[in-house]
Formats: sequence, structure tokens, C-alpha cells
Amino acid sequence: MSVVAMLFFIVVLLFALLAAAALLTWVERRLLAWWQDRYGPNRAGPFGILQAFADVIKILLKEDWIPPLADKPVFVIAPAIVAVTMLLGFAIVPLAPGLVIADLNVALLFFFAMTGLSVYSVTFAGWASNNNYSLLGSLRTAAQMISYEVFMLLSLVGVVILAGSFRLTDIVDAQRGMWFFVPQFVGLVVFFLAAIAETHRLPFDLPEAEHELVAGYHTEYSGMKFGLFFLGEYLGMMLSSAMIVTLFFGGWLGPPFLPPIVWFLLKTAFFVCLYLLLRAALPRPRYDQLMGYAWKFLLPVALLNIVVTGAIVVATRSPAEVGS
Amino acid sequence: MVTTVLFYAFAAILLVAALGVITARNPVHSVLFLVFAFLQSAVLWLLLEAEFLAITLVVVYVGAVMVLFLFVVMMLNINVEELRSGFTRYLPLGIGVALVVVIEIANVIWFRSEGQAFVTPTPHAADYSNTKELGGVLYTEHVFALEIAAMLLLLAIVAAITLTMRTRHRPGLKVQDVPAQVAVRAEDRIRVVKVGPVKE
Amino acid sequence: MLANYLPILIFVIVAAGLGVVLLGIGFVLGRGQKDQEKLSAYECGFEAFEDTRNRFDVRYYLVAILFILFDLELAFFVPWAVSLDAVGLFGIGAMGVFLALLVVGFIYEWKKGALEWD
Repeated sequence: MSVVAMLFFIVVLLFALLAAAALLTWVERRLLAWWQDRYGPNRAGPFGILQAFADVIKILLKEDWIPPLADKPVFVIAPAIVAVTMLLGFAIVPLAPGLVIADLNVALLFFFAMTGLSVYSVTFAGWASNNNYSLLGSLRTAAQMISYEVFMLLSLVGVVILAGSFRLTDIVDAQRGMWFFVPQFVGLVVFFLAAIAETHRLPFDLPEAEHELVAGYHTEYSGMKFGLFFLGEYLGMMLSSAMIVTLFFGGWLGPPFLPPIVWFLLKTAFFVCLYLLLRAALPRPRYDQLMGYAWKFLLPVALLNIVVTGAIVVATRSPAEVGS
Repeated sequence: MVTTVLFYAFAAILLVAALGVITARNPVHSVLFLVFAFLQSAVLWLLLEAEFLAITLVVVYVGAVMVLFLFVVMMLNINVEELRSGFTRYLPLGIGVALVVVIEIANVIWFRSEGQAFVTPTPHAADYSNTKELGGVLYTEHVFALEIAAMLLLLAIVAAITLTMRTRHRPGLKVQDVPAQVAVRAEDRIRVVKVGPVKE
Repeated sequence: MLANYLPILIFVIVAAGLGVVLLGIGFVLGRGQKDQEKLSAYECGFEAFEDTRNRFDVRYYLVAILFILFDLELAFFVPWAVSLDAVGLFGIGAMGVFLALLVVGFIYEWKKGALEWD
């Protein structure tokens, strides 16, 4: 790919992502309304679809306010961090054969580096706001995110063992025979739970917990800065859905009557909807339950998964191969 | 050629960020600069074709170690003015340490490298996996170092817990038992007493 | 190999530029009037009693430290998973010992109550 073509691809992808995130706010409200037997936004345009764009305009025109006691530079940088790191995460997602911005050898680790960086966004936001609710919310978020990050990566070691590579295109290719959600079902469950906690979506949205922390780390944010947090959250949701599809559900693979990219997008859309359905279905756990669950249940399960997968892979390979 | 330009560009940013770490008045700003400095040094490692190490630097240092740093400086209520008052007192010691470091670096650069030119890493093919090569030697040739690392990590776990854990349930200490509170049923707490009419 | 990272570099620049542009648009368009009430911190009716940035439970530090340690352990798992074919049974044994030590630490942590959030 020449540099110009690459630049074109990047810009197209970025704008597609921004549009998708905006549209997702509408999809979320419509689906929630449907499940709860309400109408949801249905006035602007067909099925209310223009509501998403109306909201973008609204959020741009809202007063861009910085609390006087806040630490100004940190307060402004914080929301940009989460939006930019989540956008960067998409650089390694293979949409179709050959259709990936950077096919890195260490793609999986790159994904983790980006989710790791997004922790700073909430921590800085909560600290810079100089507000009790924000600070409590950001502390909770940081502790929750770093806890769940541990076994998010642990849950994927099984996938890496099976594929023998970190490169996402190799992982997808290795799933031609069987999608990895069959042999790595435990890994899938752990990864999915961790992904929800990482993006702090419901039911694991304790950092925001409207009833006690009044939106937590972004209590003091307004206008486009609030919008960037929102953007980061929706991008994170799409990114983790895309990762679940790539790692466990064969990425772009599928029966040939549809082009690969359509398969990829369909599968990703399915998992995004699952994310939204969880919000409609599940109550929020207590914080001690959330943390205990992470360290006492998911961590041992993820470790066990690695041991069992490693043992099976070694046992089923030919002895000559193992002895070498 | 391009890599040389990139190297100097990123090294310059790294230096600026490192200067920011020590000149920022607010410790949280220092952490922000330090995170930035780590990211830049990861890029420098990448330019040396150390792909896996570069990304591990980001995951471990930026993703984990700096979060702890941030927790500590955010919440310890460090009074910067107080810290600065000791500046002149510690200045001689600081200069001494700085001199030692400068001499050590000079030693490595000028005397140890005598006769051997700086080797620019050979560029690898796009599908060359640094990680695989590393794993190949780490778990066979350097297995002893690996197990020592495991011991160190175990030691660190034990040390961290010993240092930070307080015995929460001293006798006489009132603590909240949330699960017990939630599990309470009305029958345990409320006794419905049927009071009959009082007869004279 | 470095050529793989050129798109990442471009992506970083474009994405960061996008972030700045979005913040800038918000800053330019989002004008409003300031008044006394708006300028105060969000509270539930009371003025704040003390400075927000204060000491807090050591438990959060402990979680952060344990996270660093497990992250480091993970950094050792990763090359192992990729090179499972190359290292053979010996490598599996080496990892077994490594994992056993990790599990000892984990059990200690659990028994000491470092994982409790009461």
C-alpha cells in the first residue's frame, strides 16, 4: 500500500468509526426502548435515525465548561486520551483479508497497550475535576480496569497457543477448521466479562453509578469533552466486539455467499447488540462482589484454561515435533 | 536514513518529556510527562527492532507501573513547596549522584565501545517474529534466569502484602459485614407481638 | 519489520489530530455565560468540607501493586505461548515451575485476605 492509499484508508476508517459511534447511541436507545416496551427516539427522520446527528450537533453547541478549581491542562487532555487510544485500537483489527491498517506481529499486545493507556483517561479526569464524586469514581474505575486487564490477557493466552501467533490475521486463518469459541469457550467467557468491565459498560458500570456517584469521573464534564468520553465508551464497545469476533468467531470467515467484510461487520454488530441487551437485562453488582469475582474466580479459571490448553496442544502434537 | 531521522526526532521528544518530569511543579503533571517519556523510549526500542520488548515496555511500565505511581502521587497530598524547601540542602548530594551517572555513561560510550562501531540492527522481514525467537531461548537456555524471575515476583507478592495489609478484624474493632447485612430477613429482626385486649 | 509500524505512526498523528480538532470545535462553539453557581463544584447541597485530593484506603495501592506483578508474570506467558512448538517438553516444564511459584503467591494472597474488599 502506498502512503497516500494508506492515509486515505485511515481517514475513511476514522470517519466511519465516528459515524458508527454516533449511530450507536441511537441504536442503543431504540433497542432499549424496544425491550422495555417504549418508543425511544422516533421523531427525527425515518425511525428517528437523525436523532444521532441532532445529538452530535447538540453536544458540540453545549457550553464547554472547565471548573475553576480544576487542573486545566489535565482536565482537557483526559477525555482526548480515551477517544484517541480507542481509535488507535482499531489500527490492528483485520476487517477482511488484506484490509487492515497495520498487521503487527504483536497485534494482541498492542490492543492491550491501548486499553492500558485508557486507564489514564479516567484517572486523570477524576483527579483534575477536583470533585469528590469524580475522584471516587475514577479510583474505582482505575482499580476495576487494572484488575480485569490481568485476566483479559490471560484469557487470550489459550487462543495464542492454538494459533501459535499474536498476529490477528494468523489467528483468523487458524480458525478455518474450527472457530476458537469451541475449544476456548472458557477463554471467551472470561474475555467477554473482562471486556465489559474494561469498557465499564453496564452491568459493570460502577464507576459511573448514577445513583451514588452521579456519573463518577465525568461529573464535571460538559460539551464536547463529555462527548469524547462518550465516544471513547462506544468505540471501546465496538473494539471489544471486533476483538471477540476476530479471536473467537473467525473474524471475516463465513460461507462465501457474502463478502468477508460483511461477515465481519455482521458478527461485530451482533456482539455490540449483545452488549446493549446486557444493559437491559442485568442489575449492577456491588463493588466488593465485582473485585472478588475478578481475583477469586476469573483469575484461577483463566490460569487453569492456559494449563489445560497447553497440555492438550502438547499431547495432540506428534511426539517428534514436541521432542525437537 | 529515515530511521535515523526518526530516532533523533523521538529522542528529542523523550528529552523534552524527561525535562518536564523534573521541572513540572505539580507531581501529577510529572507523571503525565513520565508516561510520555516511556512511550517515546518504547518507540526508540522499536527502532532497534526490539518489537516485543517495546510493546512490553508500554504494557508493563505505562499500563501498570505508572498507574501505581499515579495513585501514589495523586493521593499522598505531597506539598510541593515543602519539598522544594530542602532543595539547597540536598543540592550537593544531588550533584554528586549526577556526576557519578555522567561518568558511568561516558565510560560506556567512550571507553567500553573502543574499537567496536555502533551496530545498527539488521532490518528484519515483515513476518519475522521477535517474540518467537525470544521465547525459543528464554525457556530453554535461560531457564534459570526465568525461575529466578519467578522467585523475585513471588517475593514481591509476599512483601507487598506484608507491607500493606493491616489486620482488619482486631477484637473490639467494629466492622461492617455487608453480605450479612444484605442477607438479613425481616423475620430475624422483627417480632410481631399479638397484644390482646387488656382485661380489667 | 519497521515498515509494519509506518501505518501506526500515521494513524497516531491523524487520530491525535482528530482529538485536538474535536476538542477545538467544542471550545469554539460551546460558549456560555458564567455565573457564581455554575462556577462552584457539583455537590449535593453542601459546600465541600475539605480538599478533594485526600488520602484513601491502602487497598487501592495493593491492587495496583498486585496488578503490576501479575502483568509481569503475563509478560513471561506471552512468548511461551507463541514458541510452544520450539521449546518442547523442557519449555513446558520450565513454565510449569514458573506457574507453580505464581500459584503459591496467589494462594498466599488469598489466604492473607488481600483479595477481600470488606
